[in-house]
Amino acid sequence: MKISGNLQKDVAAFKKLLPAEDILSFDFVSQKGLAFTVLFADPITDKELLGEQVIRPLLRYEGTPKAEDVGKKITSPEKRTESDLNKLSEEVLAGNPVLFFEGMDEAIIVGTKKVFVRAIAEPSTDVAVKGPREGFIEDIKINTSLVRRRLKTPELRMDFLNVGRRSDTFVAVCYLEGTTPQKTVDEVKQKLKEIDIDIVPDSSYLTHFLASRPYSLLKQIGTTEKPDIFCAKIAEGRVGILVDGSPIALTAPYLLVEDFQSSEDYFVPPYRATFTRVLRLLALLVAIYLPAFYIAAQLFKLQLFPIKLLMTISGSIRDIPFSPSLEMLLVLFVLEVLNEASIRMPKYVGMALSVVGALVLGETAVSAGFVSTPAIIIIAFSGIGLYAVPNLIEQTSVLRLIMLLVAGSVGTYGIILATAFLLFYLVTAENLGAPVLAPFSPMVGRDLRDSLVKYNLGSLETRPRTLKSKNKRRLKHE
Amino acid sequence: MNKISERQIYFFLACIAPVAKLIVMPARLAGYCGNDLWLPALFQFAVQSLAVFCALLLAKRGKSLYDLLADRTGTIFAKIVVLLVGAFLLFAGILPLLEQKLFVQGVFYDTLPSILSFAPFFLFLAYLCSKPLASYGRVFDLLAPIALVGLAGVLLFSVGNADYGAILPVGASGARGLLKGTAYSFAWFYDSALLLMMLGKFDYKKGMAWKGAVCYLAGGAAVVFFLVVFYGIFGGTAVNQFFAFTKTSKYFSGFTVLGRVDYLFIFLLSLASSFYTALPVSGAIESIVQAFGQKKYLPTLLSVFLAAGYFLLTYLLDFRFGDVMRAIAEQAFYLFPAFALLLPPLLLFLLIGGKHETA
Repeated sequence: MKISGNLQKDVAAFKKLLPAEDILSFDFVSQKGLAFTVLFADPITDKELLGEQVIRPLLRYEGTPKAEDVGKKITSPEKRTESDLNKLSEEVLAGNPVLFFEGMDEAIIVGTKKVFVRAIAEPSTDVAVKGPREGFIEDIKINTSLVRRRLKTPELRMDFLNVGRRSDTFVAVCYLEGTTPQKTVDEVKQKLKEIDIDIVPDSSYLTHFLASRPYSLLKQIGTTEKPDIFCAKIAEGRVGILVDGSPIALTAPYLLVEDFQSSEDYFVPPYRATFTRVLRLLALLVAIYLPAFYIAAQLFKLQLFPIKLLMTISGSIRDIPFSPSLEMLLVLFVLEVLNEASIRMPKYVGMALSVVGALVLGETAVSAGFVSTPAIIIIAFSGIGLYAVPNLIEQTSVLRLIMLLVAGSVGTYGIILATAFLLFYLVTAENLGAPVLAPFSPMVGRDLRDSLVKYNLGSLETRPRTLKSKNKRRLKHE
Repeated sequence: MNKISERQIYFFLACIAPVAKLIVMPARLAGYCGNDLWLPALFQFAVQSLAVFCALLLAKRGKSLYDLLADRTGTIFAKIVVLLVGAFLLFAGILPLLEQKLFVQGVFYDTLPSILSFAPFFLFLAYLCSKPLASYGRVFDLLAPIALVGLAGVLLFSVGNADYGAILPVGASGARGLLKGTAYSFAWFYDSALLLMMLGKFDYKKGMAWKGAVCYLAGGAAVVFFLVVFYGIFGGTAVNQFFAFTKTSKYFSGFTVLGRVDYLFIFLLSLASSFYTALPVSGAIESIVQAFGQKKYLPTLLSVFLAAGYFLLTYLLDFRFGDVMRAIAEQAFYLFPAFALLLPPLLLFLLIGGKHETA
């Protein structure tokens, strides 16, 4: 629907399009008698800026009723004209006021959106002792500026899309032209365009649509809250996705090894980084397998325990009324409940919860003979191990439970078979053409230099081959 | 994932194929030729590596076994040969399957569990075999270091306990014993037949045939060394020591303090061997797919059907492993050299001088 030029008629038509009560209009007349009407969404428009940059200068307007002349008087740097009422209504809903005036078949859109943002802070899920501490926030403009600040190159492209029928969420697809394979970029954009969903409250909604196996238990899209990691991944040849309203950025293709790397690994000596990466892997394996092997050993293969440890264990479990599997499941259940409650609970209650968890449920349950001390130690150790790789907590906690159930029913052989299943599933998994388990399977020799092992920066001359980047070299020696 | 890489083939030949020879074969060889058990194994690895060499040479044209034969001899003959190889693999797959079952029941449990404890393996078998044979390539990448660490760990705990003089004098079992050991150990050597079904799934690279043969010999050397250690530890009682790789390390003195940590390495070898056990079945399914063309649900249906069939077979033969092994390894032993030793050079001879089409 186009603007007619009749102010009253156009405003009425516009209000018909947006009848919501928080869409307000303000009428005013210039010194020369030219009538204006500003339409804006009350909660998301910066009215002070609107008054300062639009209304006040136009009150003194003495020129002709031409959009070009009127525009010159408006001091806002963001302004443009539009004649389609539908598009104008979209702008108002995005927080940009629209200025109608008598005799013109175009309206002026002014960029005086009110931006509510929290301060840039260190993300609680990815704390670094060394290195940058900035984290993404919920505003896409600020997030893109954080990226742009780190990648000052014309090759950095940000293609904007809108996803969500009702939320019309702004999504930025970021990549380095000439480095990221165009096929990957096109595939990501195509998948985003095909999304037909009501609203996109968070970036995690998009992962389901970007994944090759949407119902998979395992992670398929990388996530980060830190702009430095985001930029490093883009520079390796990945596509980055920023979503308005979400502090969590997505990266694709995703490789499992990414979650064993931390930004800090690049700021400490390589031997230390290698040590911590191996430690993370071991912690993860302990988290998944320790409770399962403990149960399997108790039920089916006591030889796995050294004799003295076996005597200690048999002493502690002698009077326990539950079977080893049930006992372990019970302790695991308590741990998961405590974990869930401590995350959701107000901070000041958290301390009390720790006391209840540690003393009442732990110590008292042992002394009452409900559960044994080894079971609590093992689950506690497993629980700590889980947090060594925070990005995989959801997956590892489920795997731990699966292994526990398998161990309780089939024993050690069940654990081995479940592992074989998992390995085969992982080696056959691909996302956007990249194998999830690379560079281990398929083995990519050069990429192993920054996998579990971390070579010196000088040795990381090329981008990961797995990502099939067009621009292979990232470091040149003199 | 469409192709197996050159490296993955080497990994299979050097690290994964040898693992399957460490479960029951050492005890059987000790029974046939006593302290000379390593000699038939050495011979088998040597001749099998020649067959591997020929099978890898066949990959030069980049075609599957069926396509190679169809080009030269016509589709009917090609179908017959490919299905015969598939049937052979199904037959050959029975022994490792029963070995695996016996191994699981004997090693993973303190008391003899029910047959159902091994039943989950058939789910795994069905899942694995429903996937294309080429997906094993990536598995080989992952399993090679696993098998290597497993074998190295077991050997590390074993070498100190062996009396290497036990294998002397060489040739004590006599020609008859050696001949018996060689003939009856053919049942564990059919890796070249597995390679035949992988043809077309990998591209031939320069020197691949001899490199593959060398890799196979390297894996064989590790097995031969293990056999020496095995006999060095158990001597005359080796014949009763089934599941050899779980037995040799148990006398390590540190275990009184540490517990049986060698089980970690044994678990790694078990993981590798469970994939190897599924390979003949996958090969058989591949032969049917090649002969009758790729149909959408054919591999899935076949894998479910074959896994169920094997389960039934295992259930029926639960306590008759000895009889089955004697039937396969001692009475039908000649089938193995026919398909695994003679067929690859024969095919090479047949296809030499054929139309040199490139893939």
